[in-house]
Amino acid sequence: MKNPQNFIISLRNEAAGVVLIIAAWVAVSLFYPPYVIPSPLAVVSNIPAYLPENFTQHLAATVYRAGVGFGLAYLGGTFLGILAFANKWVQPLNSLMLALQVLPGVILGVIFLLMFGIGSATPILLVAFLTLPTIAINTVNGLAKKNLALEEYLVSIKCSPIGIARYIYFPALIPVLESNFSLGLSLAIKVVVLGEFIGTQDGLGYLLNNARITFNMKEVFFYLVILLGITLVFQAIQSTIVSIFFRKYYYAAE
Amino acid sequence: MATQAMVTVEGLNKRFQNHRVIDNLSFRIGYGERMAIFAPSGAGKSTLIKILTGVEKADSGRILLTNVEPVTLFQEPRLFPFLTVQENIFMPFKVKRAIITTDVQNRYRDWLEVCELTGFSTHYPYQLSGGMRQKVALIRGFLGEPSFVMLDEPFQSINSLAKQDIIAHILKTAPKISILLVTHIPEEIPWLVQTVLYFQNPCLRNPEWLNVEQLQQKLGRSTSFFNTIESNPSFA
Repeated sequence: MKNPQNFIISLRNEAAGVVLIIAAWVAVSLFYPPYVIPSPLAVVSNIPAYLPENFTQHLAATVYRAGVGFGLAYLGGTFLGILAFANKWVQPLNSLMLALQVLPGVILGVIFLLMFGIGSATPILLVAFLTLPTIAINTVNGLAKKNLALEEYLVSIKCSPIGIARYIYFPALIPVLESNFSLGLSLAIKVVVLGEFIGTQDGLGYLLNNARITFNMKEVFFYLVILLGITLVFQAIQSTIVSIFFRKYYYAAE
Repeated sequence: MATQAMVTVEGLNKRFQNHRVIDNLSFRIGYGERMAIFAPSGAGKSTLIKILTGVEKADSGRILLTNVEPVTLFQEPRLFPFLTVQENIFMPFKVKRAIITTDVQNRYRDWLEVCELTGFSTHYPYQLSGGMRQKVALIRGFLGEPSFVMLDEPFQSINSLAKQDIIAHILKTAPKISILLVTHIPEEIPWLVQTVLYFQNPCLRNPEWLNVEQLQQKLGRSTSFFNTIESNPSFA
């Protein structure tokens, strides 16, 4: 029964991170009044007061938008990274992606809002556009770190290009895909909130924006905790999948 | 009478920026011939092996391999960290889609025994010592019974006794094998080869053709490894 054990270990590691964040939050809240930084206890004790009836619908909308936007960025960024590496476009891709990263999210969000109107399209596209460059750059740089000595060995035994892809490039991609997932997902969660600020009338970002406008800081912190929770659950699932199926690709080389 | 050439190298040259490592090198290796290239460190021995393997290009010169598919054992074991010992050893079979017959499996077991690796088949490289990894690389190279093997200092991390057992096993199981051994360690030469291309300078140029006895005289007979070879019945 290794799988549940792996999942428990992943959850334990994530929980340790959460405990640290909460400890820091408690410490900071001691120095500020509750209307600036409320304590975790104050936030939890007031949950019924600001939890909307259709909270699960808002939650589902945010998860859906972050998931679709991130999925597009993940597939597109990874594909673009592989393509650039294969065609030796590493430098042009890095420059292009860095230029895209400079684009202010708010401006891009407003453009998407004007183009597609209020709805899911704005946050989804915003997530896709702002997450894709990080993933593409990460992929191309990760592939460049392939094991050249092993590739030489495969060339010496007349291995086919498919074999080289299987034994050199695929193993080099595994850690890249994992870090793409970690980096991209946390970025996607942040960006989807921005997208929902700008272009929707539902979702956690929309609720967070309403709470922010009225300076209801307890509610603001509540939604932040929910967003952190979503990220941590996905990270735990990802760590579990990696440790079950791909752990051997992390074994140390010589 | 000279044997037919399996490998012919003519006028090979290679330099890295201003540093010339191979200078107009020519030699030939016949079928069943076992030859060593003995040169100081940094003389371009590994570069020569890489050129002969096809992973590095020479600046000029000609290489002719006649009816032979060489196997190269590099200086480092070059094992796949995500494959077990057994998977690493059978990698060439997998790449060539060759069938692993009962005979191959028997040879595999014999090799594991000689290299004291029985019981390590399912281990990953990170679980092995440096010497054990090199032994795995040696088994991977020799298991397919190649007719020509290029060895780039493949015994570095292996102790002297184990080295003797492995070389004895190579010569017992493949007495007609052709070998090009590249080394700066004289110990291995009389155990494995018949002729030596001797280079004094840190560049592969103007070699001296020597047999093992001539090399012994050149390096001095008092050296302990030559005494070892003489007292070892495996090489009698």
